[in-house]
Amino acid sequence: MNYEKPVPEADALSGPFWKAAREHTLAMQCCMHCGRYEHPPTGLCQGCRAAQPKFEFRPVSGQGTLVSWTIMRDSFIPSFRNDIPFAIGLIELREQKGLRLIARLLDGPHARYRVGDAVEVVFEDITPEASLPQFRLASAGQRK
Amino acid sequence: MSGLFKDRFQVAIAGCAVSKIERRSQRSLGAITVETALKAVADAGLKPRDIDGFTTGSLLPAYGEHTNIDGFDIVSATWLSEHLGADPRWVCGFQGGGQLTGSVILAVNAIASGAADYVIVHRSLHNPAGRYHEMPMTRAREAAQWTAPYGFWGPPVAIALPYNEYMQRYGATREDMATFLVQTRKNAAAIPWAYWADKPITREDYLNARMLGDPVCIMDCDIPVDGAAAFVLTSAERARDLPNKPVYVAGYAQGLPAHSQAYRSLDDMMEDGSALARRLWQSTGLGPDDIDVPQLYDGFSPLVYLWLECLGYCPVGEAHRFIQNGAIDVAGKFPLNSGGGSLGSGRLHGVPHMLEAYLQLAKRAGPRQLAKSSTAIACHSYPDIGGAVVYSDQPY
Repeated sequence: MNYEKPVPEADALSGPFWKAAREHTLAMQCCMHCGRYEHPPTGLCQGCRAAQPKFEFRPVSGQGTLVSWTIMRDSFIPSFRNDIPFAIGLIELREQKGLRLIARLLDGPHARYRVGDAVEVVFEDITPEASLPQFRLASAGQRK
Repeated sequence: MSGLFKDRFQVAIAGCAVSKIERRSQRSLGAITVETALKAVADAGLKPRDIDGFTTGSLLPAYGEHTNIDGFDIVSATWLSEHLGADPRWVCGFQGGGQLTGSVILAVNAIASGAADYVIVHRSLHNPAGRYHEMPMTRAREAAQWTAPYGFWGPPVAIALPYNEYMQRYGATREDMATFLVQTRKNAAAIPWAYWADKPITREDYLNARMLGDPVCIMDCDIPVDGAAAFVLTSAERARDLPNKPVYVAGYAQGLPAHSQAYRSLDDMMEDGSALARRLWQSTGLGPDDIDVPQLYDGFSPLVYLWLECLGYCPVGEAHRFIQNGAIDVAGKFPLNSGGGSLGSGRLHGVPHMLEAYLQLAKRAGPRQLAKSSTAIACHSYPDIGGAVVYSDQPY
């Protein structure tokens, strides 16, 4: 069966992120000058603004906290309408304040979420070529 | 450096016009905009040949597989300058957030510097065929690669994240927001050009409205429409020779966020929005309590909470309580969005806010005329990335 949902298309900046995800590793762009992580990947470090940017994608813990979430009751992307309702989280990774990403919360729309809940990455293979980092609650009641 | 705007009260609004606001027009946006701009020019007591400056921000619609044709889906400053029979010498598009406030700021600076004498600031918005924001994509490119593969797409659900954070942190509820929606729709019900004219809602209507992404429901989002508005700005000196009472620009500020715009948290938005507010009050030499006519941007209802708190009308975390118990009734001390806002008027971005600020201060608000209407604030967009302009009916 064809996968009809949007598949991430790697570009000049994001390629290593998606390649690592395919290998079930969460790797974030990191500035080799000052050690700051950036997401989404960028062409200029916001920390040191080095004129000769040098980045590598470094594996991170995959652990973070829930900043906020929404339960999707509709979708502007038609291929997700059969999934409604589903939970989307804004996750801040443990490695750096402000290092955030969006993902599905695999505990689903009926779980009880709280700001600050500990979450951990889980990989979902959506096609033979692409995997998405998703998140789930690290364990019931555990908070940062 | 005090930050006080050197040219405050040197530029004024001399006239305006707003088109019919409808869900889908049979006419091109260009035709609607030219007609509206000509009405604004006449309203200011001018002829098209007098107009020598044009500015707008023409962002949106920019979703789905829709492409924009200038003069049809969007109307740029350049397009309007070529189709009005004017004699332009200054034409400039605004590209940042808060398109209406941003283009007002460009116009004010152009007039104060002498780059133009009579400037049209317009805002035109088109509601393309099909479902707004519909995104039937199978490949997610650029910024969309970080959200669309997860099923997360579109501004109405993007605002759900900071709004939910607000609710969780401060104990705000949808019942609290119902107060704002009922008041706004009541205000809009009395405004002939508002999309929701004669259509007030009850608290139950709001609480039972279809949810998009918790806690955001359809009534928290302004309805996409076809429509346009145009304002004529000129120097205070020239404005005094024109038929309408001039409404002076007392100062302005733009959102210049220090935080990354990707997936910002509530705190990020509040820090950057508070910085905008500091610059605004420094620019004007005024404070929140000096404002008679508060028109805060409400394209998504939670933005009103953020503006109220950033501008200093209530402490952080208190906006959902601040608006209760009749505090925002138009007959009271804080006639919040007496002009119906975007939620009552339709998705014309900052137009309803600027229009109401102008009409009230020019004493042209008719039956809606407020008892106190010497100063106004009109905001557009989010407080961290948008803008705000303060107006005065006196040049002091």
